[in-house]
Amino acid sequence: MSSDSPFHRSAAASRLTRRDFLWHSGGGLGGLALAAMLGRDGALAAEPASAARALHHPAKAKRVVQFFMAGAASHLDLFDFKPELIKRDGQPSDFGEPVEAFQNGLGPWLRPLWDFKPYGQCGKLLSDVVAPLGAVADDLAFIHNMVGKSGVHSAATLLQSTGFQLPGFPGAGCWASYGLGSLNDNLPTFVVLPDHRGFASNGVKNWDAAFLPSEHSGTMIFPGTATPIADLFPHGSADYVRPAGEAAAHRLMADLNRDHAAARAGDQRLEARIRSYELAARMQLAAPEALAMQQEPEHVLRLYGLDRGPQTWPKEINAEEEAFYFGQKCLAARRLLERGVRFVQVWSGNDNSFPRRNWDSHEDVKRDHGPLALGMARGAAAFIQDLKQRGLLEDTLILWTTEFGRMPSTQGGKGRDHNPYVFTNWLCGGGIKGGVTHGESDAFGYKPLDRRNPTEVYDVHATMLHLLGLDHTRLTFRHNGIDRRLTDVHGHVIKALLA
Amino acid sequence: MPRSVLPVFLALLAPALPAATPDFVRDVRPILSRHCFECHGPEKQKSGYRLDVKEIALRGGDSGSAAIVPGRAAESPLLALVAHPDPYERMPPEGAALTPAEVATLRAWVEAGATWPESASARVEDPLAWWSLQPLRVTAPPAGAAHPIDAFVRASLAARGIAPAPEADARTLHRRLAFDLTGLPPAPEELEAFEADRAPGAYERLVDRLLASPRYGERWARHWLDVAHYGDTHGYDKDKLRTHAWPYRDYVIRAFNADKPYARFLSEQIAGDVLYPDTADGVEALGFIAAGPWDFIGHAEVPESKIDGKLARHLDRDDMVANAIGTFASATVHCAQCHQHKFDPISQEDYYSLQAVFAALDRTEREYYRDPALHARFQRLRRERAETAAALQAIEGPLQAQAGEPYVELTRRLAAPLNQDPAQPGRESPSYGYHSALSSTPDAVKWVQVDLGQSVEIDRVWLLPCHDSFNDIGAGFGFPVRFKVEVSDDPEFRAGVKLAWIRYDATFMADYPNPGLTAFSTGGSKDDGIAGRYVRVTVTRLAPRRDDYMFALAELRVLDRAGRNVALGRPVTALDAVESGERWRPANLTDGVAPTGLAAEEKAALERERETLLLATADAATRARREELRERAARIEAGLKQLPKPDLVYAGGIHTGTGTFRGTGPEGGRPRAITILARGQVTQPGRPVGPGTLSALDFAPARFALPDGAPEGERRAALARWLVDPRNPLTWRSIVNRVWQYHFGRGLVETPNDFGRNGARPTHPELLDWLAARFRDEGGSFKALHRLIVTSATYRQSAAVNPEAEKIDAGNTLLWRQNRRRLEAEAVRDAVLAASGRLDLTMGGPGWRDFVIERPEHSPHFRYDLADPDDPQTWRRSVYRFIVRSQTQPWMTALDCADPSMRVDRRNESLTPLQALALLNNGFVVAQARHFAARVTAERTGLAAQVARAHALALGREPSAAEQAKLLAFAQAEGLPALCRLLFNLNEFTFVD
Repeated sequence: MSSDSPFHRSAAASRLTRRDFLWHSGGGLGGLALAAMLGRDGALAAEPASAARALHHPAKAKRVVQFFMAGAASHLDLFDFKPELIKRDGQPSDFGEPVEAFQNGLGPWLRPLWDFKPYGQCGKLLSDVVAPLGAVADDLAFIHNMVGKSGVHSAATLLQSTGFQLPGFPGAGCWASYGLGSLNDNLPTFVVLPDHRGFASNGVKNWDAAFLPSEHSGTMIFPGTATPIADLFPHGSADYVRPAGEAAAHRLMADLNRDHAAARAGDQRLEARIRSYELAARMQLAAPEALAMQQEPEHVLRLYGLDRGPQTWPKEINAEEEAFYFGQKCLAARRLLERGVRFVQVWSGNDNSFPRRNWDSHEDVKRDHGPLALGMARGAAAFIQDLKQRGLLEDTLILWTTEFGRMPSTQGGKGRDHNPYVFTNWLCGGGIKGGVTHGESDAFGYKPLDRRNPTEVYDVHATMLHLLGLDHTRLTFRHNGIDRRLTDVHGHVIKALLA
Repeated sequence: MPRSVLPVFLALLAPALPAATPDFVRDVRPILSRHCFECHGPEKQKSGYRLDVKEIALRGGDSGSAAIVPGRAAESPLLALVAHPDPYERMPPEGAALTPAEVATLRAWVEAGATWPESASARVEDPLAWWSLQPLRVTAPPAGAAHPIDAFVRASLAARGIAPAPEADARTLHRRLAFDLTGLPPAPEELEAFEADRAPGAYERLVDRLLASPRYGERWARHWLDVAHYGDTHGYDKDKLRTHAWPYRDYVIRAFNADKPYARFLSEQIAGDVLYPDTADGVEALGFIAAGPWDFIGHAEVPESKIDGKLARHLDRDDMVANAIGTFASATVHCAQCHQHKFDPISQEDYYSLQAVFAALDRTEREYYRDPALHARFQRLRRERAETAAALQAIEGPLQAQAGEPYVELTRRLAAPLNQDPAQPGRESPSYGYHSALSSTPDAVKWVQVDLGQSVEIDRVWLLPCHDSFNDIGAGFGFPVRFKVEVSDDPEFRAGVKLAWIRYDATFMADYPNPGLTAFSTGGSKDDGIAGRYVRVTVTRLAPRRDDYMFALAELRVLDRAGRNVALGRPVTALDAVESGERWRPANLTDGVAPTGLAAEEKAALERERETLLLATADAATRARREELRERAARIEAGLKQLPKPDLVYAGGIHTGTGTFRGTGPEGGRPRAITILARGQVTQPGRPVGPGTLSALDFAPARFALPDGAPEGERRAALARWLVDPRNPLTWRSIVNRVWQYHFGRGLVETPNDFGRNGARPTHPELLDWLAARFRDEGGSFKALHRLIVTSATYRQSAAVNPEAEKIDAGNTLLWRQNRRRLEAEAVRDAVLAASGRLDLTMGGPGWRDFVIERPEHSPHFRYDLADPDDPQTWRRSVYRFIVRSQTQPWMTALDCADPSMRVDRRNESLTPLQALALLNNGFVVAQARHFAARVTAERTGLAAQVARAHALALGREPSAAEQAKLLAFAQAEGLPALCRLLFNLNEFTFVD
């Protein structure tokens, strides 16, 4: 039992200190407000106020960026080179055991659709379609023996995003926010940058706070659009709202609310709500500034492939468009991290719809993976290089993940079916040993080489929390009778990946 | 062999032992402590096993088999595990293995009889000794207060030396009561009238008036829907719409308004179809079972035979079980899915026997009639149909047996799957055909064409119909009503178009009757010299689907002069198409797969043959009786056909489908076999279990004694009876605690879904039991319970803080004051509408939508940002909102609205900047502030009066002179709409004293 843990929360907690109260769901105050208030109270030193109290052990990373490839990206065609498949390309596939394919993807073996070349000092073999990542190959740590539990998109996405296969559990970023609080006082702690075309399976269920206090929910931001954050400014129909009047309105509200609170001494929620309006006003200033990507110098825009600005794109899926939108999200992520956002989740690909705009290449890997992978690789490589030159990479953890892998056999000649039995993750940055590979898949990339020692999402999440200074077994929240954890009852820190 | 005689028996056979038998305390326990306690000791008990407690150490953990067999080391799994040669199998899994000497010590100790002094065993608490499992203990209210609730509450206050708060003033009480009971603010005129009413019983009359209002049911239904996790979409991948979920929501509203007795309300939601078969309520209530999310892909695209399909169905039942037991019994039974419950006396067998209760069910649309008379007739006919079918089966069964194998073979041929996969004969093909996009009218023109690759002289063109059970259409699904077939060398069909004219009049000039599965041919045309590279089918009248129109074809065959199908495998283009994985896509039109059902004549011939075979051994009386029954069956079918189109409710039920989502309907609704799953893994089925419930309560047997083959509904009826049994302490405590929570902001037990050891203990156990018993014994009337609670002085206290009391009980667990409450998202929204004067009180029906759906045919995108923020349909009460799971309404979510994917027993209460932004800037607030301003402008003359009126409408009181001055100054500078927007954002608007 972990009842002595500072994170052992439950709705039943009755005696709360003021700080507990502010932190706690029942008292309800956003993490960002908390940091500000504690700072103001002099309760803690200025910067990572809540973090100082929170850590289980010294942290190697302060922030996390998670790249999530919706639809399931092929490990075989991007990162996990299998010469055996080149040798046997076109031969009838034989897995040596009965295989349950999601659809009917047990056609002949299919070779990687791009050539692989070695990169960096480590000589890691990467596919031509992710060649831009070669520039940072020595920073990346690969896990090629990830296993999932289901080949169904929704359940698999939830497992990687929340650690559970059912909706109703907090996203990994929510747990990081809950565990560590905020590094700033005018932006959300956990930001989600969805694919610009729409949501992946399960929509907001991949990042909402579920049973955790709602301030830990991922806040959606759509960079480069007219309304990047919902309701940040008055709705377009609010012709009666004048900018000058807004300041007067805030003053009058604070005034009336203070009188109201004064007559109701002892209810801290009333004061907290006043503060939430002050913070909202600050966010109105901070968020547009954080997203003003045009302020970046030319060479940075060029690094991210954004120097030409938005264009009109062909109807068909194409690498330039993918690179532009992914790069835009990556640059927005960097600017948000710099301003103290704790966790940014960047999505590539939307729902499993037609025509394909995600990684679920049942029909044609080349057609979909080509542009998506190249776009992702350009943006991600630029992002890593940019963080590095700013000194941010050393305490920013980057995790690349997806739903599951794809089969080494073909589906319909050009596509690949789902492979929940093995897939790839990679990590980079804060506390991660670069240029290494932990865990291999078998000669075909069908299952882990050592089937008894696969890596699961719990291990990756445990490692992520470990690097953030948190013990995954002690970061708990009681809900419906269970002390819930991001890692359920599983998970081991992957020591081999630690720097 | 009984364990008690075992040691004697073993002693006789025991081999010679080492001279010094290991002593448990001195030699054995240190080994266990060193290697095992970390996972199987006082702190952790992996797999429910612990080595510090003698009984469990010997008996074994969740696996249910003994771990140590005294005297028989070779048969003791413990020894096998610590000495396992394979390091992956060996215990402990991490850290150093036991040394050979340690293993030898353990072995010697077991061989010697595993002597373990009781004094060296840790004690485990009796798991059944827990407050919530004890029968209700009803004590008389203590003396000292007239109202029984006050008597209990004041007794515990007095014990701590705390004085209760004085009664709140009339306005505060009125506003509190109105929001509590109806979720709406009182109008200023009502506030004044109540304040002025000095007659005795004024408060009670107000309570009665509010309870009698239909707004009461709307308010309290929303609480119930939080717990039941009701939504209008499936969630998960795709998040398809559930367009018939709302009848359940309306049922709940109606039940509260009608003050339906709780036992009946509960029973209907578990087994209404069985216990109250002739009522519409009995069907609509089953929406409870289906209220939660549903994995569409895991069911509709993955069959139950696959692991992923099994998993999806297992998780689906898990949700049904957790919902039923969590809601009605406040027990966390779902924690026993992988192993024995860690904290509460709930076994895996309990959990899986509850899964067995729901094992026949899926989430599906059930037919019924809202009209009671029609529904009764419908039910009677269905019963008669079942009886007649059973009587027929009683006659035909023996005849079938006598007819033997040939009869079976004929039946098999008649029932062969329609969409056979040519690659795997006998198995259904996943590919159905080509399906056009949907149209809202039948008269849209659509086309599909095939490119033959080169110009071909064409003999005839075959159109093969589809089969899809959607909306019970089946054979001939989507076959066009008016169409023509043309050939051209121009892919755009602008030039050189030749019409396949034979049968043209029948298909283009008149409606072509649906051919079922009979293929359509244009007839021979080779003598007409029709040749071309492209063959196009143009449809001018589409086929009806449910509420829309489309056309679909399984296969297009183009025969050349040699009779070869030259279209096979050729590319297909179309004006538009639905793409849904393998099932529907243009390429299916030329993939060679089409339903291969028997032609009508073939079928009739086979049926005649089978009939002759069946009756070969029947005597005249049997034949006559059978004929009579068949006529009766036909009459019943005709009677059913005469009924109007039934209503639908999305509910728990027997699903009858084709393809991968078959349900148990094809098996006559027989429950799926349920076994205990080792570690909750569908790949590790164990012992089969029958229907049952929690064994920790002993007032009734925990396993339901139902005969083999009893209809599945009996299982649910048994669970319902167990739940509403007056001796069931969980049920009655659970519900009064929920009601209490919604009146005080916190339950007497602070964790309403969990009365187990991980939950909170009751703050006032005697009061809880007294209330539970009273509610149970007085007919389970919610309205009586509300009346009792809100007429107590405890409820009527002021919310003001008394510093003396706060020093003793800062959390107000003893209720020395009322709790100030923040309004829930729905109440905020409804209060905005009430103030603006736009509130539309229309009740019931499909949910209103404040989003635009993009791409409905595949994965709907719910675009809240594209909807008109001032759409009048959204002026209805929030309880009627169409609730989307994957894309929850952002504004409501910011205000801590319940997440429809979770069973919410208590709303979160957060105060975030995003919430402030939502209340300031969202289009809804902006628009309603404008309406609010227009309303007060119409009702009062002059800005000062208008400002005062707006204040009274929003906050339930006149502004003070100072407030009025500030507000008026603001309104003069920024206008009345800006002032109204400001009022919606004040703390006083959102908090209720």
